[in-house]
Amino acid sequence: MTGQTIAEKLFSRHDLKGGQLRAGDMLEARIDGAMMHYHASEPMHEMALQAGFKDGLPRVWDPDRIFVLVDHHQPTLSQKQADENALIRAEVERLGINCFHDSEPGIAHQMMADYGLMRPGELVVGNDSHTVSYGALNVGGTGITRADMFYVLLFGELWFQVPESIRVVLNGTQPNYPIAKDIILYLAGKYGDDFAGSMSIEYAGTLVPQLSIDSRMCLSAHGVEVGAKLAMFPFDEKTREFMATRTDKPYESVAADADAVYEKEIVLDVDQMPFVVARPHQFGNVCDVNEVKSQKINQAQIGSCANGRFEDIEIAARMLKGRKVAKGVRFLVSPASQHVYLQCVKAGLIETLLEAGVQVITPGCGICQPRVGFLSDREVCITATTRNFKGRKGSMNADIYLGGPLTVAAAAVAGEIIDPRKVFDGL
Amino acid sequence: MGFEINGVIQGRAWKFGDSIETDAINPYYRYPAMEDLKQHTMEAYRPEFAKEVKPGDVLVAGRNFGCGSSRPGLVLREVGIAAIVVESASRLFLRNSIARAIPIFQAPGVTAIIEDGQQVVVDYPQGRVVNPVSGASVALRKFPPLIEQIFRAGGLPEFAYARYMREHAH
Repeated sequence: MTGQTIAEKLFSRHDLKGGQLRAGDMLEARIDGAMMHYHASEPMHEMALQAGFKDGLPRVWDPDRIFVLVDHHQPTLSQKQADENALIRAEVERLGINCFHDSEPGIAHQMMADYGLMRPGELVVGNDSHTVSYGALNVGGTGITRADMFYVLLFGELWFQVPESIRVVLNGTQPNYPIAKDIILYLAGKYGDDFAGSMSIEYAGTLVPQLSIDSRMCLSAHGVEVGAKLAMFPFDEKTREFMATRTDKPYESVAADADAVYEKEIVLDVDQMPFVVARPHQFGNVCDVNEVKSQKINQAQIGSCANGRFEDIEIAARMLKGRKVAKGVRFLVSPASQHVYLQCVKAGLIETLLEAGVQVITPGCGICQPRVGFLSDREVCITATTRNFKGRKGSMNADIYLGGPLTVAAAAVAGEIIDPRKVFDGL
Repeated sequence: MGFEINGVIQGRAWKFGDSIETDAINPYYRYPAMEDLKQHTMEAYRPEFAKEVKPGDVLVAGRNFGCGSSRPGLVLREVGIAAIVVESASRLFLRNSIARAIPIFQAPGVTAIIEDGQQVVVDYPQGRVVNPVSGASVALRKFPPLIEQIFRAGGLPEFAYARYMREHAH
């Protein structure tokens, strides 16, 4: 019998029947934590009524394992959102859910990490596709649907199929700027935007110990952009340090066996990797940044659950120090959470950004949606956020390019898409 | 609204490409109300779709259908789509369709045998997707028994209700 992958171990550990599971096996899993954002009230209530529960959801399985963080809708940008939030608050009180953040702006996934609400080796679900980002911390985080969440809320269990695993080996040296976004874009461009479809990614290679937790969270969050069910990093000293300041609850990390069986393996030498961008309107429509150089831009953005962390904002501030955003370009930066925002303020980054002409946006998901910073017809945006689908920032006739925070900062200074090495010294 | 998976579905095909995202299927950001969504679903790829789709039509698409967010494809059922037949579905779109009992089938090779506007037959019991005019067919992937039960129950909330009532019957 060969060894097990991280996914096989994780799901075996959570199998209600206690099986030794292999890729392809179906199971009903015990859930350690459930994250909900703005779906918490109305959609759940409607489903309850439709299913036959005349008074709505009759209970939750464990009020201490459910986390409601109203990220997409804070601060409220419409009367409708305010009314929805009031309903969520009432529902949370009725069900006795203890962990509830609705007066703090921020992205739920980052807040889950900030507040240590999930731990290595756990199986944590969320009704948001980027829940897969928790794999950065060796947490079995995976997105589920609202109707799946309905089942989880009642029983604390959910069906899964154990995924096949793909080993993504990243070799090379971490430069003095973040490259996580370039890595995942490069892989999506080369292997397709579903190269890990329904699979579990396990990151390995000489780069991994050098990657910051911020970079790991970018790579894991983008697991969903390449189809992954899980996007797991090994547990190491960096994970231990990160968790130590956020939780005192015990946990048991999860690692693959040396003889685990992988469906495929991809090896990338990051030292040979160019700066890349995704062209409109798909994540996998990737090219070398020089192929689209001189493309004029109207807007640049850094933020979201993929790139709203300290290192993303730090590189922008470092590069913008003593420079100005190009005339006519709107450069929006949105920290992922209040914790990250405060970290940036204390490090002096926000002052630098403001002096350069950046618009600093309240933490949250708005920058990655048509909620904050709309585009008009024929406008062009380059953004370090999650998605570039048509209409993602308003107009169906606008073009959105995705790039790393350094590439975005370079474009903001130049007023056009450009190889960052042509703008900044010391790279 | 239970769905008997062991039936046969036939309809006219609306054909789409690869990696059609949930932002296009369910552009909820711009149209939060279902009545508006119904007028705009899939317009990013085919502006005429919402106006011309008829109840009983079948949606055929390439690989990675429903990529992106965890938003469901309920609007497709609302405009009358009787089945979704794709080369492959994104994980969350597949989970959503199972959990809301929306007929969805993964049939690798389907886009090679069905052209836009042609009739398509989905024969789950026989495990085939057929073009009745050309006679060409491809295999579809059968679901595990648990998933078939969820379809029959009408979706996961309904399945949950049945379990809850069973456990609280006494």
